[in-house]
Amino acid sequence: MSITVNVNGVEHQLDVDENTPLLWVLRDHLALNGTKFGCGRGLCGACTVQIDGTPTRSCLTTVAAVSGRHVSTIESLVDQQPDLIEAWVDENVSQCGYCQSGQLMSAAALLATNAAPTDEDIDFAMAGNICRCGTYGRIRKAIRRTAEARR
Amino acid sequence: MNSVHLSNLSRRNFLVSSGVLVVGSYAYTSGFNPVYANSTRTLSPSVYVAIGTNGVVTVTCHRSEMGQGIKTAVAQVVCDELEADWEKVVVAQAEGDAKYGDQNTDGSRSIKNFFMPLRNAGAAAREMLVQAAADSWGVDAAECEARDHAVHHAASSRRAAFGELAHAASELAVPDSPTLKSRETWNHIGKSRIHVDAKNVATGKAVYGADVTLPNMAIAVMVHAPVLGSSPLNVKIPESAKKNARFIGIETIDATPGPIGFNPVGSVAVIAADTFTGIKVAEELEIDWSDSPNQDFDSDSFQQDLREAVKSPGNVWHGVGDASTVLDGAEEKIEAVYETPFLSHAPMEPPSAIANVVGDTVEVLAPVQDPQTTRNTIVSAKNFALKNVKVTPTLLGGAFGRKSKPDFVLEAVELSRRLKRPIRVQWRRENDLQYDYFHAPSVQRYEATLGENGMPTAWRQRTAFPSIMSTVAAPNMVEPANWELDMGFTNTPYRCENQSIEAAGLKAGVRIGWLRSVCNIFHAFGANVFVDELAEQAGMDPIDYRLAMWDGMDVVQGALPSEPGHEFKIERLRNVLQKVRENSDWDRKIADGHALGVAVHHSFLSYVASVLEVDRSDSNYKVTNAHVVLDCGTYVNSDTCIAQMEGAVVFGLSAAQRAKLTFKDGTIQENNFDGYLIARMPDAPSISVELIDSDHLPAGVGEPGVPPVAPALSNAIYKAGGGRRRSLPLI
Ligand code: FES
Ligand code: FES
Repeated sequence: MSITVNVNGVEHQLDVDENTPLLWVLRDHLALNGTKFGCGRGLCGACTVQIDGTPTRSCLTTVAAVSGRHVSTIESLVDQQPDLIEAWVDENVSQCGYCQSGQLMSAAALLATNAAPTDEDIDFAMAGNICRCGTYGRIRKAIRRTAEARR
Repeated sequence: MNSVHLSNLSRRNFLVSSGVLVVGSYAYTSGFNPVYANSTRTLSPSVYVAIGTNGVVTVTCHRSEMGQGIKTAVAQVVCDELEADWEKVVVAQAEGDAKYGDQNTDGSRSIKNFFMPLRNAGAAAREMLVQAAADSWGVDAAECEARDHAVHHAASSRRAAFGELAHAASELAVPDSPTLKSRETWNHIGKSRIHVDAKNVATGKAVYGADVTLPNMAIAVMVHAPVLGSSPLNVKIPESAKKNARFIGIETIDATPGPIGFNPVGSVAVIAADTFTGIKVAEELEIDWSDSPNQDFDSDSFQQDLREAVKSPGNVWHGVGDASTVLDGAEEKIEAVYETPFLSHAPMEPPSAIANVVGDTVEVLAPVQDPQTTRNTIVSAKNFALKNVKVTPTLLGGAFGRKSKPDFVLEAVELSRRLKRPIRVQWRRENDLQYDYFHAPSVQRYEATLGENGMPTAWRQRTAFPSIMSTVAAPNMVEPANWELDMGFTNTPYRCENQSIEAAGLKAGVRIGWLRSVCNIFHAFGANVFVDELAEQAGMDPIDYRLAMWDGMDVVQGALPSEPGHEFKIERLRNVLQKVRENSDWDRKIADGHALGVAVHHSFLSYVASVLEVDRSDSNYKVTNAHVVLDCGTYVNSDTCIAQMEGAVVFGLSAAQRAKLTFKDGTIQENNFDGYLIARMPDAPSISVELIDSDHLPAGVGEPGVPPVAPALSNAIYKAGGGRRRSLPLI
């Protein structure tokens, strides 16, 4: 069936099973490969996107559920929060990098609603995003650095 | 370090195309070895530096990038000798080819083995550029100098950019033994550099295995046999799938008979036009599997077998004096048993591979740690001619040892061969945990008697674990190998006049492989907790106790001879321990509610000491701070070394705190991150790292930060009143 989704400000008409997780629509149908598959069960955060600004696990969200809403992915973050990306690069956060799209989308959502997150706020907002390489300390620093620079 | 020459490089290695200078270099490399050890070394060309007429320097990285920053480090080394401008350097990924020398990116040895070849390549290119400039100016090359991506002639104030010189330089002979820069003049080596892929990663543009799509490609979602050794007998495809136009079909793969090696296991592949269709059908298949000799494998009873194994003498690897007589006749001895469970690599990117078989050729794109072994395995398993097999690594979304085993690539090759179209194999997390090459579970038993000064008078240590060799080499290679034991056991720095070091091996019913820092994980755990126990018995501070044990010691000898220039020196071990004592303010009166634990370990030729601080008021003994000191000899990217230590603390904490895998009836019980518990943001302490400035030879960085973490945590928990915890996971 045909479903309309708005991803990064662009409307797409898709002919897919309405139960298809948004993750696979992004990756397999829209070639937006920045969003990653890590667990498929909402446990790792690698697939995090924002839906109307809320960080959401795209592996558990059906495409039907986002019809009529705004999806934004890592590919659009450079337009939304370029300073956050810069902080990520300057802190040399990423190791293998596979988790980082999800980390960034969670971090961006946190900063959009909390201009001065404490360590507890960061722990809470980022607990759903696993980084097997263990870049957590640098993620914290990059989030704080961005928040401070914005003040 | 052996000297390396460029003289025997053939003319053909100088690819002069559109004015590009390409320099090849030679490296000493080792043949296949699962982890690291001294083995026969052969000469082969290893790295290429190309300089375009536009001045862009392309460094080809022949090692795989999995987060350890090797692409950046390789470029730093080459650029330093070349006197290149960092902003004008791009790094290309090499495909698997013996011409590059060893490409097996594990064992923390990329920089260790290739530091000199890379420097030579950069220096040779620099000398050729200088010569080209001198020739064009009619001056002596000795009067010219390369700096800032150009050659300068001070006397005449002339300057020519590298790009302008590239073509002329490419016509020149390669210097036999180029002059290397002196350490004081290094301008990239030892400095901090942002990873070359950092921006691509942070914008979602970095390309991993599953991000590549080829025309007409189909997806294969795998359903693997619940038990190792089983093959699919009958498969029932649901009616709904048959009606789904995006479902293409299924293919069955039988378990490979004989040694396990890197061969595919029994599976049913669901072929589909997209991943979700594949996953959906995979979840609905009804499959009958054949019986397997492994179907009774049970991790609890295997652990019990390991416990039994250390109760009686094992193979004696080191024996001095008469430990048995002293220990057996002692009125009082200290005895402790330490245990660790099965662990999984669980890189964030589950295995994925693309293969495109066309006629008798195959092209592979996949996140592999060793493209050459992958290539050779395809050649031998699938009967392709070597020249017809091309394997190019993508970025690896984490690996930690998992992706040096190309079983998942062989699946893709087989399926593409059958279906005559490009195939991308996609494992789900469940496949990844089920069919890892697991980190071996283990048991260590330590016994010692102490003299009046508190120092050991007799010491017996036994280890038991399933050897990696029983999986990757031959099923009957059950005994631990010397290189496995030289990971913190036979090369223990804790010595005594009456000492027996013994080992036993047992065969497990699942695949065993190397995981970041390998056997060091359990050997560092047993040794460091036991020494803390002895210190307590002796009424001494744990750091003082270690220092006292090392009094008068110089070099530690393991089962294998040390590599030249890489002796295990007590002085360096002592140094990192003393430094971490200062950095953690070990001797301060620790604030109420906190406690410190220490561990120190030598692995991958590097020395690491770690102190962890735990919060006593937290029932889970949350780690609030970690202090790490690393001596890895000469280092290349200082920030990468620090990042690797930070990452190692978190990786080590996963194993120390909660990670554990169990098997019943040959089948794994933990299927995803709800069962296999990995450290998350709230678990991550604040970490400080000191990197020792050293002019020793470069040594390992990726792995040696891991081993001290679990014992330091156990020791801290004990100090915090949580009792002696001798079994991982600790929480
Ligand atoms: S892939 Fe969605 S949370 Fe892991
Ligand atoms: S950077 Fe590798 S998983 Fe996070």
